[in-house]
Amino acid sequence: MRPLCLRSPRLTLPSHTCPLFQWLPLLPLYHSRPASHASQGRANKAAQGPGKRLGAKKGASELVVPGNIIFRQRGTHWFPGENCDMGRDHTIFAKEKGYVCFYKDPETHPKRKYIGVVFERGMKLPVPRNKPRNRRLGLVGREREMGTLATITPPRVTSGEGNEALEVGGMTEQGGTLRQQDKRTRAKMPELKQMGIRPGYQYRESNRHIGRVAERAQVKVGEFKKRGRFQAWRKLNARRAKRTEKRASRSRKKKGSKNKSKN
Amino acid sequence: MPYQCFQEARAVLAEDRSRKLLEIAEMRKRIAFWQNVPASDLGGEYAKKGKLVRMQRYLEQLKILADVNDPVIKKRFEDGMGDMDRPIYRYLADRKWREYKRKLLMQRISQMHIVPDMLPHLDPIAEVSLGFGRRNVQPGEFVDSRVSEIPARLNVRVFDKGERLVSIAVVDQDVPDEERDSFGSRCHFLAVNVPLSPTNTSIPLFKLKKEEHIVHPWLPPYAEKGAPYHRLAVFVIQQDGAWKGASLDIKALRESSRNKRDGWKIRRFVDKKPLKPIGMHLFRSKWDEGTDGVVTRAGVKGMNIEFTRKKPEKLPYKKKDGARYR
Repeated sequence: MRPLCLRSPRLTLPSHTCPLFQWLPLLPLYHSRPASHASQGRANKAAQGPGKRLGAKKGASELVVPGNIIFRQRGTHWFPGENCDMGRDHTIFAKEKGYVCFYKDPETHPKRKYIGVVFERGMKLPVPRNKPRNRRLGLVGREREMGTLATITPPRVTSGEGNEALEVGGMTEQGGTLRQQDKRTRAKMPELKQMGIRPGYQYRESNRHIGRVAERAQVKVGEFKKRGRFQAWRKLNARRAKRTEKRASRSRKKKGSKNKSKN
Repeated sequence: MPYQCFQEARAVLAEDRSRKLLEIAEMRKRIAFWQNVPASDLGGEYAKKGKLVRMQRYLEQLKILADVNDPVIKKRFEDGMGDMDRPIYRYLADRKWREYKRKLLMQRISQMHIVPDMLPHLDPIAEVSLGFGRRNVQPGEFVDSRVSEIPARLNVRVFDKGERLVSIAVVDQDVPDEERDSFGSRCHFLAVNVPLSPTNTSIPLFKLKKEEHIVHPWLPPYAEKGAPYHRLAVFVIQQDGAWKGASLDIKALRESSRNKRDGWKIRRFVDKKPLKPIGMHLFRSKWDEGTDGVVTRAGVKGMNIEFTRKKPEKLPYKKKDGARYR
């Protein structure tokens, strides 16, 4: 219940007609004031949880190897610079062996702070923009056997102009090697296979040539002879009818056998 | 009459053009006049030169403004019939190139770090297109080693008038150097004193004359097995600067020890002489099943190698005092 307020406009009366003490008996005897702030629960915050151990794990010019964590953070207080990367939870880690460097690069971004790794102690970041990048190979060579293709002269796949050898800045390029064929097959096939590079790096004949394979092999199809078409049609129908009857009888037999087994 | 409005508009454009032509004539007269005025009256040689350059630039601008609204010129340009000797067609071609192709090239240059790695700065002003045989190559595309075995054919379009001589260099900046644990560079092709003009654009590298132009003949691009991809950049370098159009001494270039294939650097080549890179194109190459054949035919030695990842090193372990753990 709302406590009675003497100052509410409805109750203001001239003071001489209605002195203050006359109203006092109307006030409740026990008056409690409700809380304006919760004493328990969310409003007062849970107690501090365990620390998350954030912050720098490596100092400036400290040696790191690939995978070493340099900085743990919530959000991106720091950005990955040279030879560094950022993990799923914004952790900055090293990608190369080297020395840690904390720096700013106003030319790339005016406000960001970066963490980088330099290859030699004392090298500074950021590197001037027009200077070649410092790159590390990070690979070891090992002897291997050359592929079998190295000994074979593959056919020319690059251009379709002529088969004659092409003088190429001092280098001579051989014309396409085609399958060596004896005289008999050559007589049979007037046009040789025209291999070439097709879309999708397919090394094969063109569709146009594949379509004329039979012609080149001189395969001949017998001419179509139109005899009695009506008789042929009747024969065809008779054959079909016979076939369907055969099938029907076969299925009937099967059904019969099934029924027998059931009984 | 049909297209009445169009005809009326053409009359307006024609009138504007005649006005521009008058202005051009006037400008030419003025330039001729100021050329004869002694430099001391204009505040020195430098000031006179600046004034004349500014006037010339304005004159070129007027030439374009006179023709830029002509529907016939627009049609001819769109049909590819534009005469590149005329400034208006050069202007239109340049504008079209800058709309998309140059932007794409610039993106590739920055993505593949061509600019800090090969050159400190690059502002292409010529359109370069590249192909092998009938195959066209987009900037930065991976090209099969068998395809790039024959020399490339270049098409270089310049948008400023006049004949000039250019050098053409193909550089690979990703040659693995195991000793230094780093990357070196190699020159795959170098030709100098190649004539180029807005109308004469085609430069097939295999047709360049060996004695006159070629310092290093075409070496097919190749990459080692297991190595990261190689970036091959084709640079078109204008031979001007102090001595425009002057030819380079090809004999000296061939003999100098600095111009060997291995370790050839475009930076060094451009720095020492008044040369200006005006155009570039790039493609990439990685090891494929054809590479072995390509290198055998080209006579490259030492390609029976395969790169594998080095075992990652561990941090030096600091051995603690054993007594503490006992």
